[in-house]
Amino acid sequence: MSMMHASQRTTESFNTMPPTAYLMRWVIVATVPGLGAMTFYFGLGIISNVLLAALFALGAEALVLKLRQRPLRPALRDSSALLTGVLLGASLPPASPWWLIGIGVITAVVVAKQLYGGLGQNPFNPAMVGYALLLISFPTHMTLWSPPQPLISDNLWAQISGILPASTLDALSGATPLDAFKHKGETVLASEFWASQPLPEGALNAWRNVALAWLAGGVLLIAKRIISWHIPVSMLVSMAVLATLFYASDPSHFASPLFHLTTGAAIFGAFFIATDPVSAATSRRGKLIFGAGVGALVMIIRTFGGYPDAVAFAVLLMNLCVPLLDIYTVPRPTGQPKTQQHAKHGDST
Amino acid sequence: MPAYKFPGGITPPERKDRSNQLPLRNAILPTQVTLPLKQHSGNPAIPCVDIGDAVQVGSLIAERDGMVSANLHASISGTVTQISDNAITIDADGLDHWQVLPSLDWRADNHQTIIDRLDSCGLVGLGGAGFPAYIKAQIADHHRIDTLVVNAAECEPYITADDLALRHYPTEILESAQMVAKLCGARQIVVGIEDNKPEAIHGLKKALSHFQPPDHQQSVGITIKVIETRYPSGGERQLIKKLLNLDVPSGGLPADVGVLCHNPGTLLAALYAVRDGKPLVERIVTLTGDAISKPGNYWVRLGTSVETLLQQVGVANQQLHQVIVGGPMMGTPLPILNTPVIKTTNCLIAATREELPPLPEESPCIRCGACESVCPVQLLPQQLHWYARAENDDTLEKLNLFDCIECGACSYVCPSYIPLVQDYRLAKQRIRIKRIETAKADHAKHRFEFRQARLAREDAEKQARRQARQAQSRQTSDSSKVADSATPVVDLRSLRIAQTAAKAAVRKAEKTLARAAAQDPSQRHDDLETQLATAQENLKAADTRLAEARATMAQQESP
Repeated sequence: MSMMHASQRTTESFNTMPPTAYLMRWVIVATVPGLGAMTFYFGLGIISNVLLAALFALGAEALVLKLRQRPLRPALRDSSALLTGVLLGASLPPASPWWLIGIGVITAVVVAKQLYGGLGQNPFNPAMVGYALLLISFPTHMTLWSPPQPLISDNLWAQISGILPASTLDALSGATPLDAFKHKGETVLASEFWASQPLPEGALNAWRNVALAWLAGGVLLIAKRIISWHIPVSMLVSMAVLATLFYASDPSHFASPLFHLTTGAAIFGAFFIATDPVSAATSRRGKLIFGAGVGALVMIIRTFGGYPDAVAFAVLLMNLCVPLLDIYTVPRPTGQPKTQQHAKHGDST
Repeated sequence: MPAYKFPGGITPPERKDRSNQLPLRNAILPTQVTLPLKQHSGNPAIPCVDIGDAVQVGSLIAERDGMVSANLHASISGTVTQISDNAITIDADGLDHWQVLPSLDWRADNHQTIIDRLDSCGLVGLGGAGFPAYIKAQIADHHRIDTLVVNAAECEPYITADDLALRHYPTEILESAQMVAKLCGARQIVVGIEDNKPEAIHGLKKALSHFQPPDHQQSVGITIKVIETRYPSGGERQLIKKLLNLDVPSGGLPADVGVLCHNPGTLLAALYAVRDGKPLVERIVTLTGDAISKPGNYWVRLGTSVETLLQQVGVANQQLHQVIVGGPMMGTPLPILNTPVIKTTNCLIAATREELPPLPEESPCIRCGACESVCPVQLLPQQLHWYARAENDDTLEKLNLFDCIECGACSYVCPSYIPLVQDYRLAKQRIRIKRIETAKADHAKHRFEFRQARLAREDAEKQARRQARQAQSRQTSDSSKVADSATPVVDLRSLRIAQTAAKAAVRKAEKTLARAAAQDPSQRHDDLETQLATAQENLKAADTRLAEARATMAQQESP
């Protein structure tokens, strides 16, 4: 009875849910298979990428919190900055120079996240903002995907020192399968392209196994209920459907659906990038649309746009749509009339 | 019957085994009780005894005030020692003399007699909201009731009061359900019970097989429906969805879909009131929590102090962290222990710090959507949270904040430990206050308009009288022609338009009032009545002016 008791509730003290930090840490744990597979195929440069990126991320977060005069501990312990670093580190070509990683991570943590007000406030996926900036600003360095190579690369030192002599640059650069296919030229038929063996030995195989490893991590996240299935499934399905349509219309010019799903960042993006709760849609229906939108944009950019992969741009573009999606996918509360729910909320903003 | 599902929900730890192991016992008779005048929704009751009066158990000590209110009875025999603004205190004489009403037979006596008995015995819903039971019994006057739902879900962790009531009194509860079903004309009775109460289910089934001979004409069919344990299945709307697959409309009542809900405790008390003539003076309370050495369910006299009650069951004061009234999900912490048990007190949790630790520091919302996936009403808790903190009340209402049943499932799953329900409660309160203020301002405006209309009417009448006097004097005097030039030119047409408009306004006001009265006959419609009176005054003024103008015209035409 209201007369007798204060309005304070007790639910809170009965809460047994794992905290935010737990969710973030599980995502980091789930990157282990993917990172392991990448290291196996592309060398220790992957690990150094991730470690450097994580270091930069924590440093940048701490610095900005200090400037904003906010307590350091809770924000650093929630592991969100660490996760941004790990994800961005995992997206970069192996053995990227330290300054490249630094610029990307600082953009991600400082500009994309903290300048908007910190955790929970950023409209865009921080890691992808950093990645997109690097891709536009340093296209040469960002396409330096070396062919599969031994664990310890000869050029590890060049990365750490940040100096890559021009001669090594050439030796290092190997097109990714997506990149190669993208630039095969209009007149070259797919069959001729593959017949010419454009990729280094074992490249396709490496990319496929890396994708499988990311898939394993993603499945773990769904099984642990860290992420919901809606975004990854709808994104991959949408990619597969569009790829099949293109492929069926002209197999000699378009790559097969399997090629699209297993090379590049499709799987990694679906489970680890597009599912970032802060910048993705919130309702279940919104998530399905969000995922499908990312998938469609990936396919459109890959096929008609200027960039061979496209996950970063697709995710950022769909991040733009989230406020609108959140308004138009409001579920009908139980007991509310079935009509005009959307219009009702729509005209409020 | 098939099983239906309500969206969302959670499965918190039950912790019911702490209080459901032992049979129901009686708490020690208190030496003093404090009976608050407001133990129900609606207005507080009005005391009808004086200090020094001797009372027996069941003596009426305060009468209900208005429709939504309930009578209050002495819960021990003794002397009234104190009457404050909000409570009556009685000191016990230790005799425990009862004063009961004559027994009634619900199968034979007419409806009104039974309903009056529920009213006079101060029966209110014992589940939580404390809505007067006699009003619910009268619901058949306005709504067709098809199903009586016995809400035995008891989904909150810790609480086992209904469980024990069902184990000990299954026959009485089913009989009372028959009684209430007869009162409201229900065609069937469905008992909804969670599957974590096997003994109660067994007891109910056994009672049902004895109780309901197939050829019995008068009784209504009873179905016992066991549902999965999932919080908040005991919410009225959730249970109705689960049992009958019906959605109670937003802002509506279960009666809108032909359903009436009662919890077992209320039914038991209703039968005692009718069959035994016992007013509501005691109830079953679950006493539980780690700080108690003898947890269990007890019959407790209303007005017993929580403190003395806890002492009886061996509370360890040095371990006691907080006492919660109700369950851990929706209950409220007691700031002071020297408060009485009231009609809606179903559970007292004396918790240690380890048992219900304080909430960790809140961290920012990461839009993870966990809250949304557990919301049984399919609201958007996180958006409500943002708009509530931003005090964006218009959007909150558009997002149906008032559909929130405050079950606390969202706060429970929030990984950022945001006290979401607290935000909603504050926002609701803020919006309610705003609404009341708007209504007050409207009311003042309407009263002002009424006064203006009354003045205009009086003015018109005065004018008419003066004209009449002048006309009379003109007729008597010979120099009537002189006055003609002084008569103002009257615009008959605009006066006629004004009269028609005034008539339309009256009709509109009448219609609005009639509709409001039909929708909610129990409410008062002062404001609408003022508006109608205003329109009527305006019409009278217009009538007068028109009549007067016509008279003048007639005079001018035939001097």
